[in-house]
Amino acid sequence: MGTEFLETVEILNSGVKELNKISKNYNLGLSTEEMLRIKSYFSSQGRNPTDVELQAIGQAWSEHCGYKSSKVYLKKFIFGIAPNKILSQGDAGLVDFNDDIAIALKMESHNHPSAIEPYGGAATGVGGILRDVLSMGGQPIAVTDVLYFGERSKKGFPSPKFIESGVISGIRDYGNRVGIPTVSGGIFYSNDFVPNVLVNVGCVGVVKKSNIMKASVDKPGLKLIIAGGKTGRDGIHGVNMASKTLEKGEEDTTTVQLGNPIIKEPLIHAVLEANERKLIYALKDLGGGGLSSVIGEMLLSGGMGGDIYLEMVPLKESNMKPWEIWISESQERMMLAVKEENINEVMDIFNSWDITASIIGHSRSGKDLRIYYNGQKVLDMDLEFLTSSPLYYRSYRHIKQPKESFLPSYPKDIERIMLKMVGNINVRTREYAVRQYDHTVRGSTVIGPFSGNVGSEGPTDASIIRPSWDRSEGIAISHGSNPFYSKIDPFRGAKAAVDEAVRNIVSSGAKPIAFSDCLNAGNPEIPEIMGEFISMLSGLRDSASSLEIPYVSGNVSFYNQTGKSRIPTLPTILAVGKIDRIEKALTPDFKNFGNPVYMIGLPYVEMGGSLYSRILKFNDNNVPNSEPTILKSRITKFLKAFDDDLILSSHDISDGGLAVALAEMTIGSGIGVDVDISSFGMRSDMFLFSESQSRFVIEGRKGSEERIREIFGNDAFIIGYTSESFKGINGEENLFNIELERIRKKWKEGYI
Amino acid sequence: MKNPRAAVMTMEGTNNEMEAYLSLIHAGANAEIVHIKKFENSEKKLGDYDLLFLPGGFSAGDYIRAGAIMAARIKAKLIRDIESFVDDGRLVMGPCNGFQILIELGLLPNTEGKWETEAALAQNISNRFEARTIYVKVNNNKCVFLKKFREGEILKLPIAHMEGRFITRDERVLNEILTRRMNVLSYVNREGKESGYPWNPNGSMMNIAGLCNEKGNVLGLMPHPERVFYKVTESDWTRNGTGEGMGYRFFLSAVEHMKEKF
Repeated sequence: MGTEFLETVEILNSGVKELNKISKNYNLGLSTEEMLRIKSYFSSQGRNPTDVELQAIGQAWSEHCGYKSSKVYLKKFIFGIAPNKILSQGDAGLVDFNDDIAIALKMESHNHPSAIEPYGGAATGVGGILRDVLSMGGQPIAVTDVLYFGERSKKGFPSPKFIESGVISGIRDYGNRVGIPTVSGGIFYSNDFVPNVLVNVGCVGVVKKSNIMKASVDKPGLKLIIAGGKTGRDGIHGVNMASKTLEKGEEDTTTVQLGNPIIKEPLIHAVLEANERKLIYALKDLGGGGLSSVIGEMLLSGGMGGDIYLEMVPLKESNMKPWEIWISESQERMMLAVKEENINEVMDIFNSWDITASIIGHSRSGKDLRIYYNGQKVLDMDLEFLTSSPLYYRSYRHIKQPKESFLPSYPKDIERIMLKMVGNINVRTREYAVRQYDHTVRGSTVIGPFSGNVGSEGPTDASIIRPSWDRSEGIAISHGSNPFYSKIDPFRGAKAAVDEAVRNIVSSGAKPIAFSDCLNAGNPEIPEIMGEFISMLSGLRDSASSLEIPYVSGNVSFYNQTGKSRIPTLPTILAVGKIDRIEKALTPDFKNFGNPVYMIGLPYVEMGGSLYSRILKFNDNNVPNSEPTILKSRITKFLKAFDDDLILSSHDISDGGLAVALAEMTIGSGIGVDVDISSFGMRSDMFLFSESQSRFVIEGRKGSEERIREIFGNDAFIIGYTSESFKGINGEENLFNIELERIRKKWKEGYI
Repeated sequence: MKNPRAAVMTMEGTNNEMEAYLSLIHAGANAEIVHIKKFENSEKKLGDYDLLFLPGGFSAGDYIRAGAIMAARIKAKLIRDIESFVDDGRLVMGPCNGFQILIELGLLPNTEGKWETEAALAQNISNRFEARTIYVKVNNNKCVFLKKFREGEILKLPIAHMEGRFITRDERVLNEILTRRMNVLSYVNREGKESGYPWNPNGSMMNIAGLCNEKGNVLGLMPHPERVFYKVTESDWTRNGTGEGMGYRFFLSAVEHMKEKF
């Protein structure tokens, strides 16, 4: 039925079987229950829907757009934390920074597209996250990415090496071209990510407080302008693909968008210029669900109706059908709502940047959306019904596991284990990837991914960006996540993720101020997975509410699953912090010889998921337990010692425990440390390799002993002094004595 | 004495304009960012400026050959203006993509005065994008941008590029460059000695990192002085303290020269 470009779909007389068939044939991804709901809506209208209407619903009601499995739980657990510290929320979240600017941040997954088409998937992940910050009126200042790759190949799926190389190239080519530094991130390797790779991409930006944008269209008569890239057939049904499990032979690469950073770069300039001149009334980016999502959400949030004329949308291919135009996820597009009197100026700005822009409709009073295509009405629906996806209280089940530890007998070769750890695939240098990312563009990177002597740099904990060349404040950026902990214990894994993100910020001398949470899980319709998801959320809640730091933005990616193999239920936390004087910032590389080295916080025997357990292959499900109140008090003490100028270098204790932390502090500095742990009375391997949370190693100034003791009380311990060697003893027992060059070589693993 | 005027010329894909602009401003120039379009349609005149800065980035995406499209655009409409700009003794600086454009345009090395393309910046020998800190040695400080450096001085600068391997069209061009000491900056190792990868991060001939024309007023280089105007953006500053960075002196050299001359 219908014309050549428009179909009317018979649902009024369709039974359950036919309805399911319609959902499948039109690639809607909707359940029987949802199809029945649609049927009842159109019955009340006394007509059948058009294909445009069905497709629009398929977008809005997808898991990806509607958060239908997660929303009720997100609200319950993490939405209400420290609300007074959130300045604004939209595509990205905003926190206050200083009298002039706010920080915008967002982390989001691009998992499904990257599993199918790694290069394009990762590149458009970067593109999408930049637009989220831009939507708030923000200038992006840093891109970050945390990647989770497999090691083993699985038949019928692209090899992990192919995926890895595609993802890294995609991030490189997009991020470098668009000219925003990629400064922070992480790469994990585990077979839990075969074939479901995770690509979690973050962006941090700055917004002048007077220029903060909103997305809601709450006035009639505003013109709706689409600007940037043209609309094509790339990325159709992307959100639906991201809302189901990945199965062999079902990969459809047309669902992955194609990015073009060379449109994005001037698009950012043009939008920011129009915003600076106060010409934009409301702004939102076109991401998943394309026009369908953006227009629906902008109008609904402002309580307006609207009329759209699809023939006005600039196209890549002339023969696209209305439903394709409406849901295409083509990249580099922004939607602006602009007052009539500002239209000419806005169009002039886009023209001066050589950016295509077109008025495609307007807002009007009412609660309905009408779409026309060359004079014919192709969609006429109630916006509330269309845009508000059904929400589910998915059933969940918690699996109780008794804490069991099978600790290894005491090893004779601590030194060999340490070297193995430093060279471990999850510890050693990430320079093969990160040095392909431009991390100095914009000339504002105060601390980048590496620090120390030129040509032999070691890792850093957080990156610091200077938002203004005329002021001394810096924005610290870091991440936290641990898939090995989360696999065993999603609750503790989530707390450890927050703990690590916070440690990293603090270790650089900054005070943490906001989080964005990127949540990854398998199929939410499985009660055990939903149970893990809820455990993760309660971990995230416990940590953040104790710290009084809000999650200002976030994203949920479900269905990272293929048959029975699925990813651990884990968050990637993006944290930002503030340092008042960048010239005081700390890096992990030791600064000089003969300085006292302190361990902050004692280790416990909790080896679950630790690097030690993975290297020695012993079973332990007692994952390091971050205690938020302890974390909070250590941060306060640390920052006090920092303010008192007692700290020269600092590194957080994470993978591989104290041993790896110390080794990493030698890499960028060529300065070692002589350690004696005899006063602790703990098994040396546990002492050195425990990954107990909320801990740091700091190099103090000479003579800082008394002040450090005053500040930390019995929570800081001198374990040794920086020196030309790297030696460890436990009383009579020699634990290790390693040449610094050997550590560096191990960590570099052939990279020069 | 009025502040010298500088134009940072951009097109879609150039992306180092902000740090270039800020470096010029902080060095005391009166800088503005100008889209190439405004020169093409005569809304702005090159002759109104004392310094032209061609920033790094990926002009037009660099999908063909680094710098090729921007160079073609300049050749089509602006080449005469730029040639007389250079003949006038005004200053041109192009790091990274800007260097690629200067080579493409034939402004560098220009050994025969014919404005022909005599060299290229080819893909790095590592076949990778390289973002790291490197050392370069100042071979000749007659170049206006290097006045504040001593000959033989070792500078520490960031690089970030995929195509930076300097090669000449033929041996003659290379010999001319060396004889006339146009290779003002060359890659060296930590000890100041010429060395292989990664100290020469791209495999450039004769470790060439930067070229200046004989007149001394056109500098093209792969490193990015505009990203290290202050020490706090040098990669190892937490070991060395703060203050003005390596980039500062490039811009100060240029601004002082312009103040004297114009």
